[in-house]
Amino acid sequence: MTHDWWKHLLLILGVIVVIAPFYMMVSYSFKSPGEIDRGEGGFFGRQEMMVDERCVVRRDPSRAEITAAAPRFPGQNDRGIRDALVAEAETDCSMRPVVFNYTMAFTEAPLLRYLMNGIIVTASIFLIQVVVALPAAYALAKLKFWGRDAVFALVLFCLLIPVHAIALPLYILLAKLGLTNTYAALVVPWTISVFGIFLMRQFFMTVPDDLIDAARMDGMSEFAIVWRVMLPTAIPALLAFAIFSIVAHWNDYFWPRIVVTGNRDLFTPPLGLREFKGGGDGSFFGPMMATATVIVTPLIVAFMLAQRRFIEGITLSGMK
Amino acid sequence: MSLADGVPHEAVAAKTKTHNVKERRAAWILTGPALILMVAILLAPILVAGLLSFTNYSLGNSGFDWVGTRNYEKLFTRSTYAKMFTATLTYVVTVVPISVGLGLGAALLINSLGRFREAYKTIYFLPVMATLLAMAIAWEFMLHPSIGMINRTLEMGCGTFLERIWPFMANGCAGHFPVWLGDKRYAIWVISFIGIWQGFGFNMVLYLAGLTSVHRELYHAAEMDGAKSAWERFRLVTWPALGPTTVFVVTISCIRAFQVFDTIEAFWPQGGGPNKSTYVMMFAIFEKGVQQNLIGIGSAITMVFLAFVMFLTLIQRWLVERKVHY
Repeated sequence: MTHDWWKHLLLILGVIVVIAPFYMMVSYSFKSPGEIDRGEGGFFGRQEMMVDERCVVRRDPSRAEITAAAPRFPGQNDRGIRDALVAEAETDCSMRPVVFNYTMAFTEAPLLRYLMNGIIVTASIFLIQVVVALPAAYALAKLKFWGRDAVFALVLFCLLIPVHAIALPLYILLAKLGLTNTYAALVVPWTISVFGIFLMRQFFMTVPDDLIDAARMDGMSEFAIVWRVMLPTAIPALLAFAIFSIVAHWNDYFWPRIVVTGNRDLFTPPLGLREFKGGGDGSFFGPMMATATVIVTPLIVAFMLAQRRFIEGITLSGMK
Repeated sequence: MSLADGVPHEAVAAKTKTHNVKERRAAWILTGPALILMVAILLAPILVAGLLSFTNYSLGNSGFDWVGTRNYEKLFTRSTYAKMFTATLTYVVTVVPISVGLGLGAALLINSLGRFREAYKTIYFLPVMATLLAMAIAWEFMLHPSIGMINRTLEMGCGTFLERIWPFMANGCAGHFPVWLGDKRYAIWVISFIGIWQGFGFNMVLYLAGLTSVHRELYHAAEMDGAKSAWERFRLVTWPALGPTTVFVVTISCIRAFQVFDTIEAFWPQGGGPNKSTYVMMFAIFEKGVQQNLIGIGSAITMVFLAFVMFLTLIQRWLVERKVHY
């Protein structure tokens, strides 16, 4: 395979360009502000102890503290005690840059809360999408009723509409209902996934009718059939759809940016990162990149673990 | 006998009839929620946007006036919106062909390899998975004029032969390298580059899926017919076989490209870039409609945007129905 070297060369060049921002993001999240400014320290930085200036300022000794500390430093005047206290604060406030960056990421902004919000929102969206789409898909695939073709035609038409494109009228409707700045606003527009209906219908078409007839013979209602017979058969398709849906909504920035204004309690991870960026000055590159790393990591790790399923799920839309 | 014969027959007929009624009712109950949500969330907003695009409505105002087609006239006469269309189309026309081409190229290269296929595939797919906003911020650091990795790398080329053969390097080394995001000559191209960076892995995966369905016998047949070079085989076999994939990849890339927003909002929260050179449609909808509360003009942009996207998808469906087999 020696004549393949030029292919590898091209692909490796591509790899360098693709990886560069990831490399930089993770590397900056390890480094001290000085190392970032001067561009030194390799990938991990030198991890020399650094002093968190803001922590030292916070612990600046007051008059009362100096008096209180006097017995610990016998024979020193006030100036001496003060210097000793500041030195103590500096030792307490010094840490490795990597620790500093990641602690800052979680303490400067309620990052855990943002991550929780991200999980709540993506999970609710996916669950509601399934609850709405699965029965409809079953009816469209397996039940005969007047109007079925019309409903399916409507589904096909709605596939044309990207939800982001109609964000403005949706925003107005939600604002009129007084729902902006609520979890509902983050979830509602995504509750209907016509793509999910379409996909599950295509899948259900391949399920043999005998299975359903047998269930009916056993006296199962149509609802029971949907959840107890069809759902288990649809697990592979559902898993692919789950990945598709979760990746899209964990990463979504546009819609949360519109309906959540100011209320930090509702921020999703991308919004939190955005706020961090707006508020920080130059010395905050490290913590900001730590935040970015924390937000990007869950999906990347999940992807690495279940690559094939992910690629299937994401490219699902290509298999029509 | 004839009587006895008739009874079960009628009973069956009656039973299927009640069964049909039951089935019909169940069907409507099962599709009901989906139908209601489709109308309320997808169709009604289009109608609302269509109506509001002929008004001067603002949230918080009690009433509004019908202004006829004035919003649309503004859209097609004012220079701001001319810039909006230019930026959007420049982005789409740059990103779609390059990301589709790179996706196809990468897929063909990877498909022809024996080893490391999975590794390349995984790495090229990473940007598709990553939160674009986070990656936009990472790119912003990379592009930082003084401490960014890109200009630092370029500076390393100073004093070498590159300076003599490449005027861009000579200029950069003599003065300073571009400020990228702050320069209206580069801004839209940087955004396009990030769009390509993010999207081509997706296209690659779709093409790889498409390539598995190309029959090996076809290559043999083509060789028999005198297609000796790799290029001939690609032109005669691979490319036609990938027709349906290409139609799909191009459409989805177009729709995604039209919706570019995250990178632009992250780099320039106000105003859409230096000299509005990256003032794309999604950003315009956000700025006019949401931030400035000019719902009429925002709705007009929404309608034009929808027209673009639907037109594209209809072309795709038409091509697919014609079965693109060249």
